[in-house]
Order: sequence, then C-alpha cells, then structure tokens
Amino acid sequence: MNGAVVEIEGLRKRYGAVLALDRVDLEVRQGEIFGLLGPNGAGKTTLISIVAGLSRATEGSARVLGKDVVRDYRFTRRAVGLVPQEINFDPFFSVEEALRFQAGYFGVKLTGDRLEEILSALDLTEKRHTNARALSGGMKRRLLIGKALVHDPQVLFLDEPTAGVDVELRQQLWRYVRRLRERGTTVVLTTHYLEEAEELADRVAVIERGRLVLLEDKGTLMARNAGQRLQDIYVALLQRERAGREAE
Amino acid sequence: MGLGLRTLLVKEVRRFLRVPGQTLASPLVTTTLYFVVFGWSLGSRLADVEGVPYARFIAPGLVALGVVSNAYLNSASSLFVMKLQGTIIDILVAPLSHTEVLTGFVAAAVVRGLLVGGVTWLVAGAFTGIGIAHPLWALVMLVLAAVAFAALGVVTAIWAATFEQVNFFPTFVVTPLTFLGGVFYSVRMLPPGLQRLTMANPVFYLVDGVRYGFLGISDASPLWGLGILAVLAAGSLSLAYALLASGYRLRS
Repeated sequence: MNGAVVEIEGLRKRYGAVLALDRVDLEVRQGEIFGLLGPNGAGKTTLISIVAGLSRATEGSARVLGKDVVRDYRFTRRAVGLVPQEINFDPFFSVEEALRFQAGYFGVKLTGDRLEEILSALDLTEKRHTNARALSGGMKRRLLIGKALVHDPQVLFLDEPTAGVDVELRQQLWRYVRRLRERGTTVVLTTHYLEEAEELADRVAVIERGRLVLLEDKGTLMARNAGQRLQDIYVALLQRERAGREAE
Repeated sequence: MGLGLRTLLVKEVRRFLRVPGQTLASPLVTTTLYFVVFGWSLGSRLADVEGVPYARFIAPGLVALGVVSNAYLNSASSLFVMKLQGTIIDILVAPLSHTEVLTGFVAAAVVRGLLVGGVTWLVAGAFTGIGIAHPLWALVMLVLAAVAFAALGVVTAIWAATFEQVNFFPTFVVTPLTFLGGVFYSVRMLPPGLQRLTMANPVFYLVDGVRYGFLGISDASPLWGLGILAVLAAGSLSLAYALLASGYRLRS
C-alpha cells in the first residue's frame, strides 16, 4: 500500500452559520487519482482550498507529506499544485511569461526544456508568446494547468477541470491526467461529472453537506454494485443520506 | 533576495511598464501643464517665495504629489485587479511569506513613484533649473513617502470591494491634503488661523521636508517631516502586514 500524501483529520470549516465541512477525515495515497465527488456546494472546493492554503480550517488539521499546511506552509505549498475551478488570467502577460512568473513564485527557475515540455504537453507551444487574454477558454484552462505544474508538484488538485469544456478537450485532459499519474504525480480530482471519476479515479470519496459519506476503492465499489454505473451508485447513496437526515 | 520575491517585484514593475502611457506619460503631461501655466504664463507676474522663483518653489511639492499618488495607485490597482480577476490565487498558493508579498508590492510601487518623481523633476528642471540642495535628504524623504503610500495602497486594495473605494483615498484624502499642504504656497503667506490648520496637516510636513531636500528652504524643521513620514511608513506597513497575515478578504 502506498503512503499518504495528504492527510485530513477532523477538518471543520464554518462560514458564519454555514458548516461547509464537518469533521472530515481522509487520506490521499501516493500516486493515485483520487476522485472527490459531491453536489455543488458540498464542500469539495473548501476542502482543497484548505490544503492549498487558500482557506483556513476552523478545526482539525491538514497535512501534506506529513507537514502541517499552516505551520509548514512553505514546504506544503511547494508540494501542491492547484488548478482552480474559475478561469483566471493576467491580461498583461503572455503564456510563457505567466508560466515563468508562476515558477518564480515557487522559487523555481523554469529551464527551457521544462518550459517546452509543459507547453508541448498542454498543446500551447504555438501560443507561447500570445497574450493570455487572446486565448480561447480551453487554452486558458490548459494554461491554468501549466501554471499548477511549473514547480513539479507531488500532488495536483484539479478543481472541476472539465466544467464547461467540450468533449475533445475533456478527453485530452483525461489523457494528460493519466500521464501525470504514470510519472508519479498524485492527482486529486473534484468533479460532479460521475463519468469522469468512473473513467479516471482509483479511489472515490463523496462529500455531501460537508460530511464524508463514502470513501472507497473504485474497483471494490463497482464490484460490490455489479451492473451499476458510478452515477447510479452515487445517486442512490445521496438519496439514502437525505432520507436518513429527514428520519432524524 | 529570494527568487519568489524577486519574481513578484519584476512582474509588478513589468506590469506598469506595459502601460507607460497611463503610468508614466500621464503624470508627465500633467506636470508639464503645471509648469507651462505657473512657470511661463503666470511666473513673471508671481513674486518670489522665500527668495525662490515661484515655478521652482512649487516643483518639490509636485514631485512629492507625483511620488505618493503613483506609489499608492500602483499597489492599490494591481492588487485590487488581481483580487477582482482571481489571479491573486497565483500568489496565495505560492510559498511566499506575508513579508515577501508586502515587500514585492511596495517595492514595485516605490519604483513607479520614484520614476514619476524623477520625470517630474526633470520637467521642472527644464523650466527652473535642475540643481538639488540636499539630494540624499530629498531621496530619503521621497522613498519614505512612497513606502508609506504604497503600503496604504495595499491596505485599500485588500479592504476595497469596488473601484470606487480604491479611488476614494487618493481623490478625497491625498490630493486635498497635498494641495492644502503647502504645495503652491509657503505657510508663512497664510493668516495665523490657516497657518495653524495647515500645520495640523501631516502632508504639509512631507511637502515641506521634500522642499528642504530640493531647495534647502522649509517652513518647519525638516526633521518633523522625516519623523512624521517614518511613523506613517511604519504604521501603514504594520497595518498592511497585519491584514495580509489575517487573510482578511484574501483567504476565506
């Protein structure tokens, strides 16, 4: 069994009266693709934001490679890459400049070879001198992935990477995610496209209303529910959860 | 200086150099107009102030105004736009300390402020002569002023939710205090009541101290200017640091 790259213990996050995460415990293992599923607003983005340093937990702890994300933030942030859900870009700079600046923030001087590798892998070589403002939506999303990879992170968080993208780009991203895993990068994928998790994930977790309601090896889960698709299992699980809550 | 901080500084400087018309040429045009009006058109009709031709007397105040407003605008607009566009994530996920983030934004803003101040003084020099009485004093005063207002820009950018809020401070605080802080007149030319009011304006000591550096004349002790600016710079840096460290309106 591979060791834990990310360890979440008793994680709670409260925004005023809203409990976004309620005592979540989970581990992400070295080299796996971990599918973090749940409806919109379930707490997926909050969870990865805490690990990446964008948000602070109300209670509990998050560790990356054994180091606390608050106390040892310099170490943990070097180990983490985050592709945010919302597309953003700096209209002042080109694709290459954006990648070089992002590497610099992480204390990494981007070599020519590494730059070429990232540009090529994301099919952005011809756009390297193009201003980010002039890229298509799909290219902007690929640039975000490139920026998350410039410092060669050990764990990559992809927050809804295929939301609103066409089928061709989605399959291109899936291929790239598999290649990353083959190179040893651990990938945490949040999505509410169940076919995406079914296609890619080694293990899946489901969060609903801030609570972890399922954490299981995908193969075991599918075998236990033979003949069903992940989507059917997921919907049935959420219905049971909601019925249970109403009964309480 | 670590690579992370150096990168942030270079990126911020390149950002304002990408729009030189807005960041450098615009203050150049404004300053030139001041000197055309007060130097050529009206200059011969205006009496010397403290033994200095009027156009030369106003130059240090205009340099100070250019430095503080551009230092403020650089950090405030850059950080606020990053917040608005979501690119602030690039900084927040990076292993940069709060001190490095603050230093990067403030240092780039100081560079822009001093560039505009330098250009202003060169324009003034074309009309009134370029000599500086106490260059080191002038430089220290302008750097301290730029640091103080750049840090206030960081504070405003973190706090602000709209562009209107970003522009509130320069429009309704900095410019009035600067214009009423002795840029265009010596405090000795005012009646006693207005003299007292002017001397309660902290920006007066900034303008007066910068004028001492450039021209060797001042209404108050230039040490007052230095002390007040040092306190203002320390206070605004501390406030900006505290906001960054708290994550207020940056980290949820």
